[in-house]
Amino acid sequence: MTLRPRRWSGRGGLRRPGFVRMAFGAACLFGIGAARADEAFITEQTSDAVSVLDLAAKTVVARIKIDGKPAGIAMSRDGKSAFVTSPEGKYVSVIDTAARKVLRRISLPDAPLGIAADPAGRFICVAGFYQPRLYKIDPASGAILATVAVGASPSGVAFTPDGKLIATADRDDDQISIIDAASFIRVGAVKVGAHPFGVTIDAAGARAYTANVEGNDVSVVDLASQKLIGTIAVGKRPYAVALAKGRGFTSDQYGGTVSIFDVDSLRPMQRISVGDYPEGIETSADGASVYVANWFSNEIWAIDAETLKVTAKMAVGDGPRAFGTFLRETH
Amino acid sequence: MKSIWIAVALVASALSSGAWAHGPSRQKTTEKIEINAPPEKVWAAIADFHDLSWLPGVAKTLGSGGNEPDVAKRQIVLDNGATIDESLFKYDAAEKTYSYRIDNVDVKVLPVNNYSSTIAVLPAEGGKSIVEWRGAFYRGYPNNDPPPELNDDAALAAVTKIYKSGLESLKKKVEAAK
Repeated sequence: MTLRPRRWSGRGGLRRPGFVRMAFGAACLFGIGAARADEAFITEQTSDAVSVLDLAAKTVVARIKIDGKPAGIAMSRDGKSAFVTSPEGKYVSVIDTAARKVLRRISLPDAPLGIAADPAGRFICVAGFYQPRLYKIDPASGAILATVAVGASPSGVAFTPDGKLIATADRDDDQISIIDAASFIRVGAVKVGAHPFGVTIDAAGARAYTANVEGNDVSVVDLASQKLIGTIAVGKRPYAVALAKGRGFTSDQYGGTVSIFDVDSLRPMQRISVGDYPEGIETSADGASVYVANWFSNEIWAIDAETLKVTAKMAVGDGPRAFGTFLRETH
Repeated sequence: MKSIWIAVALVASALSSGAWAHGPSRQKTTEKIEINAPPEKVWAAIADFHDLSWLPGVAKTLGSGGNEPDVAKRQIVLDNGATIDESLFKYDAAEKTYSYRIDNVDVKVLPVNNYSSTIAVLPAEGGKSIVEWRGAFYRGYPNNDPPPELNDDAALAAVTKIYKSGLESLKKKVEAAK
């Protein structure tokens, strides 16, 4: 089903100075000489929208109406497509990121939450929250290519950078499942801390890090040996993990903090205050900044991964979750 | 005033999963009220985690742990006998704010899951105060396609009603004590 984008005004946009609302006109802004900056595509669950945040201008330059309480997002490696889950609508929206358009909707038999894109761009993987299964989907046709059973309430989904393995955080089974991407067979499951939600795999494809919501800690899993190799205490109710400069960063929902740990020693380093209910968190492509979505206070904050200082606070619409990979390189 | 705690007629259903089971769409609400009293005085009225005498519909609270985060727990006993178990997870007397979560409540008493909340006293112009009460929670029905009495709107309406009523009551109590 192909949807035509509609012009749309969000409530959140009217209240905030500097909040530029544009459904269609954004592309023309880029023709007037300014260098193109990286962008963040932020799922605003309460607003039923995805906002496009220009990370240099620090302002929202476009909003795309997406119903069904959008939550999860996966950005293609080339930045041309974003895939957004609508758990209440039971579909995935495929976004043409440059055009700020929804190209198609892919319906699913279950509520999708976590989503990840194959690094080679061949398919996407979506976790059905209730059934619970992982679906391998052709984003061009919307066809479900394969399905595999995973643990209860699968939340986060992540690929190894070589595209060979997929990990799901099976929240209610306190484990990750490891799936062979080609055969789409589950090749292992590893017990982690209590209620893992986000899962992040490092650049080497060697380790998976889970944020354990009920455990208030991070589990570190060695993917080759399929063993738990470490646990790090972090702030209250961690949601997801980002990795940068040899450090891990967790978004601690109840703590209102980002906890930073050293990935070599697996020891806590520091905790910094951010907005209210930080959730989605991701490192920029150059590794220099970590961006975190503050769900309650409707802001995206930038943290310098080296100095650990907050470098920007950017207003977005209501209920930003940005669960997954939401950053887009535009150059 | 017990009417602020709605009693929903539950469809007999498989709400067997624990307090952590919930749908994927969290709700939030913020209510504020201006009180004609300095922040110190307003904070004094709510600073004890175990004193909810300002909140309508509460018969008493039982509990322990004082105001110590991750230690303090309270059980709220409502006028109608229903109970709500809560834990304190943040407390900052200097900033005049605390945060707590519900550990256990029947969705017939309050149709929410995984509820957390922050209450804060902020300074306002002219020596007055603003009290802000914020809540984050999921609807009472943890799966897709909720019945109307346990959907997102029902959860939002129930929490908002308590906040409005509680803040009005707090304002009256503090301003009357001048």
